[in-house]
Amino acid sequence: MGLKQEHDGPDANKQQEFDIDKQFLAAPVKSAVDKFQLLPEFLKVRGLVKQHLDSFNYFVRTQIRKIVRANDLITSKVDPTVYLRYKEVWIGKPSTSIEGAVIELTPHNCRLSDLTYAAPIYVNIEYSNGQKTPPVAKKNVFIGQMPIMLRSCCCVLHKKDEAELARLGECPLDPGGYFIIKGTEKVILIQEQLSKNRIIIDTDKKGCIQASVMSSTEATKSKTVIKMEKEKIYLYLNQFGTKVPIMAVMKAMGMESDQEVVQMVGRDPRYSALLLPSIEDCASNAVYTQQQALEFLDKKVKKPQYFSASFDKEGKAMGILRDVFVANVPVRQNNFRPKCIYVAVMLRRMMEAILNKDAMDDKDYVGNKRLELSGQLLSLLFEDLFKTMNEELKKTVDGTLEKPSRSSQFDFSRYVKGDSITHGLERTLSTGNWDVKRFKMHRKGMTQVVARLSFIGTLGHMTKISPQFEKSRKVSGPRALQPSQWGMLCPCDTPEGEACGLVKNLALMTHVTTDEEEGPIISLCYCLGVEDLALLSGEELHTQDSYLILLNGLILGKHRRPQRFANAMRKLRRAGKVGEFVSVFVNEKQRCVYIASDGGRVCRPLVIADKGVSRIKEHHMKELLDGVRNFHDFLREGLIEYLDVNEENNALVALYEGEATSETTHVEIEPFTILGVCAGLIPFPHHNQSPRNTYQCAMGKQAMGNIAYNQLRRMDTLIYLLVYPQRPLLTTRTIELVGYDKLGAGQNATVAVMSFSGYDIEDAIVMNKSSLDRGFGRCIVMKKMSAINQKYENTTSDRIIRPQRVGPDAERMQILDDDGLAAPGEIIRPHDIYINRQSPVATRGAMVSPLTLTDKDYKPSIQTYKGPEGETAVVDRVALFSDKSFNLNVKFIIRHTRRPEVGDKFSSRHGQKGVCGTIIQQEDFPFSERGICPDLIMNPHGFPSRMTVGKMIELLGSKAGVSNGKFHYGSAFGEPSGHADRVEAISDTLVKHGFSYSGKDFLYSGITGSPLQAYIFMGPIYYQKLKHMVLDKMHARGSGPRVMITRQPTEGRSRNGGLRVGEMERDCLIAYGASMLIYERLMISSDPFEVQVCRKCGLLGYYNHKLKISICSTCKNGENVSTLKLPYACKLLFQELQSMNIVPRLKLTEA
Amino acid sequence: MEGASYQRFPTVKIRELKDDYCKFELHSTDVSLANALRRVMIAEVPTVAIDLVEIEVNSSVLNDEFIAHRLGLIPLTSDRAMSMRFSRDCDACDGDGQCEFCSVEFHLRAKCINDQTLDVTSKDLYSSDHTVVPVDFSDSGSGIENSEQRKGIGKDHAKWSPAATVTFMYEPDIHINEDMMDTLTLEEKQGWVDSSPTKVFDIDAASQQVVIVDPEAYAYDDEVIKKAEAMGKPGLVEIYAKEDSFIFTVESTGAIKASQLVLNAIDILKQKLDAVRLSEDTVEADEQFGELGAHMRGG
Repeated sequence: MGLKQEHDGPDANKQQEFDIDKQFLAAPVKSAVDKFQLLPEFLKVRGLVKQHLDSFNYFVRTQIRKIVRANDLITSKVDPTVYLRYKEVWIGKPSTSIEGAVIELTPHNCRLSDLTYAAPIYVNIEYSNGQKTPPVAKKNVFIGQMPIMLRSCCCVLHKKDEAELARLGECPLDPGGYFIIKGTEKVILIQEQLSKNRIIIDTDKKGCIQASVMSSTEATKSKTVIKMEKEKIYLYLNQFGTKVPIMAVMKAMGMESDQEVVQMVGRDPRYSALLLPSIEDCASNAVYTQQQALEFLDKKVKKPQYFSASFDKEGKAMGILRDVFVANVPVRQNNFRPKCIYVAVMLRRMMEAILNKDAMDDKDYVGNKRLELSGQLLSLLFEDLFKTMNEELKKTVDGTLEKPSRSSQFDFSRYVKGDSITHGLERTLSTGNWDVKRFKMHRKGMTQVVARLSFIGTLGHMTKISPQFEKSRKVSGPRALQPSQWGMLCPCDTPEGEACGLVKNLALMTHVTTDEEEGPIISLCYCLGVEDLALLSGEELHTQDSYLILLNGLILGKHRRPQRFANAMRKLRRAGKVGEFVSVFVNEKQRCVYIASDGGRVCRPLVIADKGVSRIKEHHMKELLDGVRNFHDFLREGLIEYLDVNEENNALVALYEGEATSETTHVEIEPFTILGVCAGLIPFPHHNQSPRNTYQCAMGKQAMGNIAYNQLRRMDTLIYLLVYPQRPLLTTRTIELVGYDKLGAGQNATVAVMSFSGYDIEDAIVMNKSSLDRGFGRCIVMKKMSAINQKYENTTSDRIIRPQRVGPDAERMQILDDDGLAAPGEIIRPHDIYINRQSPVATRGAMVSPLTLTDKDYKPSIQTYKGPEGETAVVDRVALFSDKSFNLNVKFIIRHTRRPEVGDKFSSRHGQKGVCGTIIQQEDFPFSERGICPDLIMNPHGFPSRMTVGKMIELLGSKAGVSNGKFHYGSAFGEPSGHADRVEAISDTLVKHGFSYSGKDFLYSGITGSPLQAYIFMGPIYYQKLKHMVLDKMHARGSGPRVMITRQPTEGRSRNGGLRVGEMERDCLIAYGASMLIYERLMISSDPFEVQVCRKCGLLGYYNHKLKISICSTCKNGENVSTLKLPYACKLLFQELQSMNIVPRLKLTEA
Repeated sequence: MEGASYQRFPTVKIRELKDDYCKFELHSTDVSLANALRRVMIAEVPTVAIDLVEIEVNSSVLNDEFIAHRLGLIPLTSDRAMSMRFSRDCDACDGDGQCEFCSVEFHLRAKCINDQTLDVTSKDLYSSDHTVVPVDFSDSGSGIENSEQRKGIGKDHAKWSPAATVTFMYEPDIHINEDMMDTLTLEEKQGWVDSSPTKVFDIDAASQQVVIVDPEAYAYDDEVIKKAEAMGKPGLVEIYAKEDSFIFTVESTGAIKASQLVLNAIDILKQKLDAVRLSEDTVEADEQFGELGAHMRGG
């Protein structure tokens, strides 16, 4: 992405190639600084999945230490002097130990040999074995294996260059950010959640206004709801069986005076009026003092499931109010005042919302959301597992100590075992089921196998955000596009159907924050003039001239000059004194300043502007280009800063520098960064109808092409590759940034937009046979088959033996090598044996030496290839490895090269999919007088209703591109900044090369040779071949397998099933009166069965073949038995009904 | 219809002739013949191309099918192709394509012995027949292949098509209404001339007259006509396509010379017509030509 191209941009097309430089030199100095170069620099330091990596890095560097420190002491209950203390924790290099030997792991080895890419967790411990012995310190104690995220700081790939990555068998373009669990790549999806510890005002189902807080601290999680119901205000808390009057709660927390409560809420008479019914209610319950209130509340407390000592001591209600009720507000030395103030603020916000509906919070607002990433999820899991391990450790130690006599010396450290953590982490990551008992968390489907269908699919998978609600809910609010999504979440990339709008994707420049230390920020706030809450009276809280200061939802105090305070905080942040991701947000409506340093907020970088003048100047960009400066320098010097969604509300962001006014505070880096990775591939998306871009986002993930540089060394279950992938002639900046130009998934096809042959209706495309001969759309499908050489409990094991070259099986063993495995390069046909394996007859019982077994003791357990008939697949590779239990595993990769055929699915990059309708000889294809003949023909009816103008511009741009040998650009919204070519410039280029400005050509019919009636819009368009191919789908059956129980044909292609005449088809036939056809389809061709029915009792009898008579077993004779045909399923129903004491009787009449 | 002869005597005027390029005019015939010629050149002129590849060892990064496909697309000199037999109806070898009348054998042996990537080109193909060699015109690993080439036509697979480009256009007949042209100013004339994306017209520097420099550059795009209409001068220029003369452009892949390609095409076209004529009133004609046969016999 040379700068030269930036500058010459559209006008240069008019110029001759040789005087571009002259043009460049003569060009007037651009007033607006081109900030595009920041983007590649940004992605260089961050990568595309930095949010995952940062989160994981934070976990392994910081969070894991905190967890261990919080649970660092294990003391025996039996002997309190026996203890173990964790001193330090760290994660080693990725390795595994096999029979005592430590083997270093590389990601690719793990993929190939079904291992988990994990590193050992080590701790330093200090322990005492009892009073008599002094405490012992021990270092490097192994407590478990931690799966390592690829490219994180613990990974061997961290900070490796391209050559080193290649040596490790890794693709340099692979983003990392996933785990390898038992050989499969797993991503932990980004989880969307409502923000924790924040007051949210909304309405419940009945329309009552409520204030809720999801409290989350290290110890507890709770949800507090304060609700206005029938003019009275109540508290809802799980620990209380029923709703509780809020005034009683206030009194229980020591606010005995109603006046104080009113003062805290605010002296506005309207608030007092709203509060009055609650106060009266409280009085009517005779609750006046704290003692009375606590007693009142004690009655409402739910019976605890397990008995807790602390609760009993001071009354249950007190404990709940202290530890569960708005748990995020800490209570120190039973000082409930901060909590009271917090509740007062909640009440005040609620009343504001009652008086003025605008003050309600929007749950769908991105600023009220947090994204939970792998690090956070893993830390939850690890904490739980670590605690479980410690409890078990304590239990075993206590058990050992309780034993009266011990044979050996007691050693605490010997009981530290890492299995539970290792298995817990591995199991959770491979199933995706997060079960954390402490927080009652049972979430399913948190991890997914990385989509390796296409390179873009992989990237798209990493940025996918899974929703907080179940998909079944029919609500439109959360699905709608939020204005606050701008720049943070891609507006295009969302699936169609039930998950539409709920599953989202990150935009190109989005960053997700990690937790930051609160302590320094708190003290800084006080230094900057925040008045401490403790020193304020209730009355002073909401004075006219002051704003409340909140840090991560916690009220710090108030400030009299909020704007000045906010500016000071921001200045410090830009100077690097406060973390770059700390956000300062002045909410004038709520008269609050929100400071946030918590993790999971989405934010993005913006250029800072002073009074509308960008801080980035030409010389900064030049330094960047020269490599003297990097993205971090920009950040450090306060030229760029990260804004989160809330702080964006305080900023006025100009799209371009030229549009900035004196109020402008920030300038966008590049407008196309509002799109994500998948939408970034679309050229001219801003000219398309919006749903088309969404469709393309879904289809780009199904396109075949290159997966990774190491694609031929991978052993995936299924890979689709294109034989001749190309990079698009019409590129975008995003394509270059993500590397799609190096791992493309499509080919540039010359498309003629015209009607041809009638096989092009309904979006079908007509293809040129010669193009297909030459390799257009040719693809490779690779499938994996595997076999295990099993070991058995009696020490016998399977064996793989030399194939028989003569005899009955010789023909099926043709492709086997002498080692009994299929040889690479051999053509494999259905029913061919690919592994000549034998299993021992006896696998259980007494130990048998394998040497004593003879050929007779083995039975064949061959595996045969079950592919479709007529497909010539080839054995591509065979790999051998030993798995966890030291069994020999063999993986076979079967390769099949396919050329496009009628019915294969193709798509352009504009959500215009279509199947191949017919394939036509080149001589029948239209041609131009230059001899150009299209590769495929698309019906023009695809355009009017779809309104994909972007596709037309792509065609024009690509045509100009091939004419002058240059890649043209079509980045989203790129025309003003020169990242997209204008149609006028493209047309000029076309005219210069002798084409019509409109992109239309004069064509001759290939069949008759006469000119076509109209000019044909023709040029190259990047076409993707999608994974849906007829060969995998076509299915027909005459007769075939049947289901055992009903004797009806099986269902589905994989079981060679029948095609069902369903209810609706049946209805049609009934309406038509085709009774014989119904009879034939539904019975003769399905499950006909002959039964003997007794005319007298109406029950089924049987036919005695010996006596050649039919007998009714109920009547014990054969006098009244008739034979008739009915579906077997019907007979089955009768018998099943009989088995449950219902007698179905058939009444027969003469027909 | 009876008796009247529509026989015409087409003439060919060669404009340009190179080994792999040929441009000629075809006069006094109609489009059906011109198109038939074009279609035959693309699809039915036989050449030889590699069709059967036996791979002994292939340890390169490229897979067998891929190499076979690429070998097939290499153009081979096919001057002998017209006289060769199709392997499917060769009686010398029962059609298995192993004899000198219908096949030529090639050998490809390449082995990379150092760390660099080895370019394997058509020069590495060794032919058993000196008349059939790759046309003069690129991986690491080693491979030994025996490939067998066979005669074929472009209809079966594009690799047998000897034509890179075969196209024709109608010769345009341009009439400028000089009187009307004279009413235009020089700028208007220039504007009109520039409206054509291809350089068909120019302004004579001396006489300031619009002259036709290259009528064949005209792409039938109607741009000049539209421009004239936009200028309020409809009928300024009239352009017709001459219905009976065609300008052919033939580019060969190098398998056979472009001129030979045209000649072969004419031969094949003749053979096809002969086949039609010979079977005119035989009963087999119905089977062989189906409806066409019945139609030809006046059905």
